[in-house]
Amino acid sequence: MSNAAPSSRSRGMRDLLPDEMARVRRVEDAFAATCAAWGYSEVRTPVIEPLHLFTSAGTLSPQTLERVYSFLDWDGWSGERVVLRPDSTIPAARMYAERLDGGRVAKLFYRQNVFRFTDDDSAREEWQCGVELIGDTGVAGDVEVTLLALGALAAAGVGPVAVRVSHAGVVRAVLACASLTPEEQAAAYGRLLDGDTTVAADIESRVPQLSAAARLLFEVDGAGSGYVANVRSAFGGAVPALDEALDDLAFVVAALEARGVTPVVQAALARSFEYYSGTVVKFDVGGTRAGVGGRYDELIGLVGGKRVPASGFALYTNALAALAPPPPASDVASVVVVAAAADPRSIAAAHDVAEALRAGGRCVAMTDGGGTDARVLMRQGGGFRVESARGSADCPTLDAVSAALEQLR
Amino acid sequence: MIRVALPTGDLRRETAALLDASGAGIPDYATGSRALRFDMLGGAAVARVFREKDIPAQVALGNYDAGICSLAWTEELARRFPALDVVRLRGLGYGECALWLAAAGGTSRAPVRIVSEYPNIAEAAARRMRLTRYRVFGVWGAAEAYPPEDADLAIVAARDAAGVEALGLGPLARLMTSSAWLIANRRSLATKDMSPLLERLGRSGDANGGLALTTPSSLPLRIADAPAPREALRLALPDGHAQAHTVQALAAAGIAVDGYDDRGFARRPRIDVAGVEVKVIRPQDMPQQVAIGQFDLAVTGRDWLFDHRVQFPASPVEEVVDLQRSRYSLAIIVKDVQADSVSGAIEEWRARSVGAIRVASEYPNIADHFARERHFGRYSVIPIAGASEGFVPDDAEILIEGIETGSSVRANKLTVLERFFESTNCVIANRERPSGARRAAFDALVERLRAGVPAPVAAGQGA
Repeated sequence: MSNAAPSSRSRGMRDLLPDEMARVRRVEDAFAATCAAWGYSEVRTPVIEPLHLFTSAGTLSPQTLERVYSFLDWDGWSGERVVLRPDSTIPAARMYAERLDGGRVAKLFYRQNVFRFTDDDSAREEWQCGVELIGDTGVAGDVEVTLLALGALAAAGVGPVAVRVSHAGVVRAVLACASLTPEEQAAAYGRLLDGDTTVAADIESRVPQLSAAARLLFEVDGAGSGYVANVRSAFGGAVPALDEALDDLAFVVAALEARGVTPVVQAALARSFEYYSGTVVKFDVGGTRAGVGGRYDELIGLVGGKRVPASGFALYTNALAALAPPPPASDVASVVVVAAAADPRSIAAAHDVAEALRAGGRCVAMTDGGGTDARVLMRQGGGFRVESARGSADCPTLDAVSAALEQLR
Repeated sequence: MIRVALPTGDLRRETAALLDASGAGIPDYATGSRALRFDMLGGAAVARVFREKDIPAQVALGNYDAGICSLAWTEELARRFPALDVVRLRGLGYGECALWLAAAGGTSRAPVRIVSEYPNIAEAAARRMRLTRYRVFGVWGAAEAYPPEDADLAIVAARDAAGVEALGLGPLARLMTSSAWLIANRRSLATKDMSPLLERLGRSGDANGGLALTTPSSLPLRIADAPAPREALRLALPDGHAQAHTVQALAAAGIAVDGYDDRGFARRPRIDVAGVEVKVIRPQDMPQQVAIGQFDLAVTGRDWLFDHRVQFPASPVEEVVDLQRSRYSLAIIVKDVQADSVSGAIEEWRARSVGAIRVASEYPNIADHFARERHFGRYSVIPIAGASEGFVPDDAEILIEGIETGSSVRANKLTVLERFFESTNCVIANRERPSGARRAAFDALVERLRAGVPAPVAAGQGA
């Protein structure tokens, strides 16, 4: 039982201790190395953005917007609010529209945090490793970002990864075909995300000829290309707007299968992100949400740029850090240097010695925080004594200290 | 002991009648006593009188176990703080009104300007209507006076559509219905025997209805072209306590305003200065309106300018004439404290293991500024709307309040630890002055107002 005083930490916020931080860095470093190897460049967007960036229709849902940290800035007398970034893709789209749109494909990645209010003690600050592939890459771009995400997860040592794919256009086409108003379509989509498959019955009552197809779409999770072919066959061209979406979906699924990945195909996947316009992909590891991504062809136009198609994903760093194996122990020798006396000259001399030992590739501390391999004790009048668990040695010179450290390691 | 927050103002008479009818009557509350605390239920409960707007926060904070106030004020707080520890128990069957989305024309500018005493509900409505860009002006009052010149939409309380029209606005949508409700603190309900109160009040009225916020799915106005350049100089004059002082200042300057005198005011009175338009709004709301350029000049208090400047340090609003009237001090007020200084009081509260030092004030930004400047450590600011003398020591450690003679402070056995700011009424303007004929009108009006300042001559010569 702990008698610790109540924490002054804000609710929903986390401290990361050294071992937790090491796991986070391992995930982030693996992600960054993978992205760099795929030709992507790192960017970072501001923590504070104007609220209106996120209120543009079709970017974030009102439910999500009710959970953003918004406030009047110190110069916010106009009454317009700013927010702590609740999402990274929308700021990346803004940055592209304002700073990068030179007509070329932009391949960006980031490691940054987002903030969303929660009712309970769950995290209100989440770190993400994300990628945005902006430009006319077609559906092959969806395949690229999906395989890049899987590559980053593998590099971080996280797996096995369950891949779920959907297409925003599939559900929208079917709901529109059932003569639902935009508000009814949004409500039906929300019900689907909540796992409410009675939406199929609603569609059946409105468009009886689509009953079998709706049930196949909403009540059966498919596996691979065969399922997509079944959905196409069941609708039989009755919903023309569906064809293009199914073409995209079939392309992505076939490409993933050819790379040895068999995705689960579902009708609806991503909650709260209204900007997805095409393929949507979710990554789960052992039942834990590991990431989500998708195509967002309208977003850059909505935040003030030209219409530029784009695709991307975000992996959830904190979840991955918990799933990833612990970082391997460092093989760099660690040493602490102890000054001969506590006067300024002796302390400065100890720093001289430490600097020389660091140049030899060692981790050299000036205060003993524990866990070091050896201690180098400086003697009044010159000379050193090296101590480790394996023994000790008196050394007249720094070269001798280096040799002794190797011998006693 | 059950602690109950009861409303003063519009709901007081009917609340007193309900308490009487349910066997929980408080004779002095019913007769309008100026006292702020009363015994209730034969000593099983204590009642404290608040402005209705302050009651949801007091119940949420746990200072009071239960309260009676309009549902709209509870909803306003809950929209900002969704995890609020307040349970809405029952509608009590009186004080019916609704919050209406209203406008004074069929068009809107972009960004859409929304004015309301309910800024959190306004934010929620804007999100629901999927407005891509909007500004919310949370005002102390007179929201109905803003459209169409100074806002596109107003959210106002009225019983029905005719009530909205009586305010000079066109109703666009009813956002929610409201009435007096019994509310309670969630933890108090979970841990404390409140049955003596609930038995009497929990059976009145209706537990249903009025809880949903319904908005149009899109903005019910057409986005208009940019407005024509302004021709008139726009002057804002204050209502409320500041009005009498402003009437004197105008008279001393030889300026006549038809519809703004000791007897009352019209929202748009006529001034005898060519090329000048006047609107009457709350003095608290003027600095922001001047900052965004809605008004060229405004007569407000230096206290409200100070509150605005500490919230927005880079604001372009400045004082151009100190009118030297309506003089009072902002003071630090406490009760039952041995220390004779603010720093001593802080030490005393720390020695008593007071957690967060609670600072209640009608000036929330000044309170925040003061607490930071004086290194309060852990503190919380409780914005209040009035009935302030009753806050210390039970509901706050410190009250920051404007005082003139201090008679009210002495009558309530309160202690003034420090007077830290002298307020008078003043004329404010945006540092970016109008141009052309409007600049000439600006300079002439400022000069006349300055000439009316009682000796010695006012500071603030920078017009």
